[in-house]
Amino acid sequence: MVGVVVVSHSPEIARGVVEMAGQMAGDDVRLESAGGDSHGTLGTDEALVRDAIQRADQGDGVVVLADLGSAVLTIQHILETGNGAVKLADAPVVEGAVAAAVVASLRLPLEDVVKAAEEARDARKL
Amino acid sequence: MLASSETIVQLPTEVDLHARPAAQFVRTAMRYAAAVTVVAGEREADAKSLLSVLGLGARRGTELRLRAEGREAALALDALAACVTGFVE
Repeated sequence: MVGVVVVSHSPEIARGVVEMAGQMAGDDVRLESAGGDSHGTLGTDEALVRDAIQRADQGDGVVVLADLGSAVLTIQHILETGNGAVKLADAPVVEGAVAAAVVASLRLPLEDVVKAAEEARDARKL
Repeated sequence: MLASSETIVQLPTEVDLHARPAAQFVRTAMRYAAAVTVVAGEREADAKSLLSVLGLGARRGTELRLRAEGREAALALDALAACVTGFVE
């Protein structure tokens, strides 16, 4: 099953999004958060993100959702230097994570999970 | 063999099609090969897209028109109708 990682500058946001996506997708999906820097304050920490990706990875790939700026840059750096099937979804964090988690819970492949997350870019609310 | 079928099901009177029921609905739809669209009022959504289904903004008691095409169409509709009537708040 594809894993999902939520990266935010805020630990609370990352944890909250993971909790919400988990409630909607069921308990089977491996959802991990990497929020804040190593002191638990606002920021991004590359080691935290790497650990989260490792925890989420069950061999079928990992999709990563990120909020802004350095979170995105940190992940891009990890992707350039890492190996394995890890994709950064170009999608808003909350909607993208929820959609990705629901699709991942159905044991669909990584491309489908990324696509579901990226549909969130165009999804209208009203 | 390609098949097409359609059914109408009503959301329970105490449940809006909000995030959690919508996720349940989409997860059910994705188990079947058929392409399924769901129509609520004048809006139409792909039953396999969570954000599309949420975009319907369907409120409690709304009639949903489900249309399925392709393999497993009838099975998909049966499962989805059961899913909708089984929603609990």
